[in-house]
Amino acid sequence: MTATPLRAVRLDLAEHNTVLAGDDRYFVFHSPEGTALVLDRCPHRGGPLSLGAVEPGHRRLICPWHRSRVSCAVLRRRAVPAVRTGRRMVAYLPAAAPAHVTRRRVLANDPPDPEARRPLFDSTALEVWT
Amino acid sequence: MSTEAITMPRPSAAPVRSVPDLPDPALVRAYADLPVFRSRPDVLVLGNPYVRPIGAETLADVDWARPVSGADALGWHALAAHRLLVNIYESESVILPKEGLSVAGDFDAFYGPEQRRLRDLVRPGLERYAYGFLDSAVEVSGRWTLDALVAHFTECVTEAGAAENVVMRTIEAARTPRAAAATYLIQLALDGLTEASAMARNLAGAYGPEQSELFKIFIDEFGYGVYQSKHSTIFEKLMRSCGLHTDIHAYWHFYLTGSLALINYFNYLTEDHTKFFRYCGAVTYMEWIFAQGFAEAGETLKKVYGPDADTHYTDEHAHIDQHHGRMTFENLLQGLAKRHGERVVPELVRGIEEIRLLLRLADEEFIGQLRWVDTLDQHRAAGARAVAGPDPGSGRAVELTAASPFSTRTYDEDRVLVVTDGAVDLHACGEGEPHRIDAGGALLVPAGRLHGVRPVTGRAALRVLRPEQPAR
Repeated sequence: MTATPLRAVRLDLAEHNTVLAGDDRYFVFHSPEGTALVLDRCPHRGGPLSLGAVEPGHRRLICPWHRSRVSCAVLRRRAVPAVRTGRRMVAYLPAAAPAHVTRRRVLANDPPDPEARRPLFDSTALEVWT
Repeated sequence: MSTEAITMPRPSAAPVRSVPDLPDPALVRAYADLPVFRSRPDVLVLGNPYVRPIGAETLADVDWARPVSGADALGWHALAAHRLLVNIYESESVILPKEGLSVAGDFDAFYGPEQRRLRDLVRPGLERYAYGFLDSAVEVSGRWTLDALVAHFTECVTEAGAAENVVMRTIEAARTPRAAAATYLIQLALDGLTEASAMARNLAGAYGPEQSELFKIFIDEFGYGVYQSKHSTIFEKLMRSCGLHTDIHAYWHFYLTGSLALINYFNYLTEDHTKFFRYCGAVTYMEWIFAQGFAEAGETLKKVYGPDADTHYTDEHAHIDQHHGRMTFENLLQGLAKRHGERVVPELVRGIEEIRLLLRLADEEFIGQLRWVDTLDQHRAAGARAVAGPDPGSGRAVELTAASPFSTRTYDEDRVLVVTDGAVDLHACGEGEPHRIDAGGALLVPAGRLHGVRPVTGRAALRVLRPEQPAR
């Protein structure tokens, strides 16, 4: 029925915050704008955004590898199509790879880090997806 | 009611959403105090489609500053708000008594300038009060495409098709299946006797081939201009064959909150054309699941009432909604997504998801009501135990006479009714024999269970207690 076969992946947000699908990993990202399932890969060099820290104001997420700054709004716009009712979320991923849900540490959902705005080295502070 | 399904703890960083512009309590009271909405002693409302008793006095314990939330989506305050909203929405459609306009004064009151003035003032706030919780209960995120929409819709209807019809099984297994089936038909009557009126609001305008698709469905609902084929006409035949009244809102007092929330939802969406795409998502889901749902309902009604049950209505839906499901899915839902692009898809998905949530809540409430009615004897024993201790709890005294207004309500916490003088008839479903409680008798009314009482003879007295300890 669909041109691009998609698979429904069900998460209980009290139990799960991560989806593993083939070589890709996705994490549930909470922000003041809402909850989204986002690809756990920094667009700079593929760092784990789930282990990053959000800036105060939730405007950007800082990748732990090179402190690249990724716009939270863009992350949400490019998130996996998903719908949440209460704590149940259904997300749609390409059906080609098997997917399973799990729970991992997600630092990106911790309270904003006041230090996050300060780059380690100015030369490595990258703006991506802003 | 399960609250787990619709509430989710938010991370501490998330801001608290405020709900502005809630209803003005004084205006709500004024609206409820219009002559046609005043309380009356009648249990059933017959022969007058304009009488829909709310009674300003019954709203005294509704906190209009505390909107309905995911945790109490079908609470008492929701019931009060939805009763008001039914009247508000239906005052925008034409309803005339079949036997002729012998109640011209009530016609004038129902459609008159004061009703319209108050209606227009209270409606926006009431809508936010009753449905604002959906904004946080349902969240659509990410980059939705046509493929994802199709995948999601297919997933939802496959799940619905595979699920056991617990509502029908509960009716068949009830201690008095006829009363249970009547309760079901009474909920359908809320919309069945004015069917597709909400849809009519979305027919005007100009929106391309999708408009024509919706119009084809609408003319099916209206029997192609043949009165005997109109769905509301064949619904009347079903009601009559099951021994039920066909007057519009005869069973006004017995609509459950979830039923009201479902029907009002479509009016809520069609009143505001910014919610047009949401409406199309919701109506597509409903049209798709109706075919199977009504096929099963027809079988249950035949089992309960026997071959005399005129199931033309359920048979018609079991057939035509196979077409309507396909038409709305292929040509309305997908048609709109293709024509207007991915920006409209999240709203289509939101409509699907919101109606699924409301359906789930309504089913849970309906089943809970039937199970309570089936076990009133046990609840009498539980009520007696609750008031047998040294401290039976606080409560208020109620004096009833034959002229006392009749109304039904729910409580958000358990209550025990104790009859202290005379005897009362408890009405909980609109049809069948009421449950009689004599002086000295008690009854546990669990949270959320709809009920009303009438004195058996001239007068009766009871106390409504809040049990100190859980009585179950």
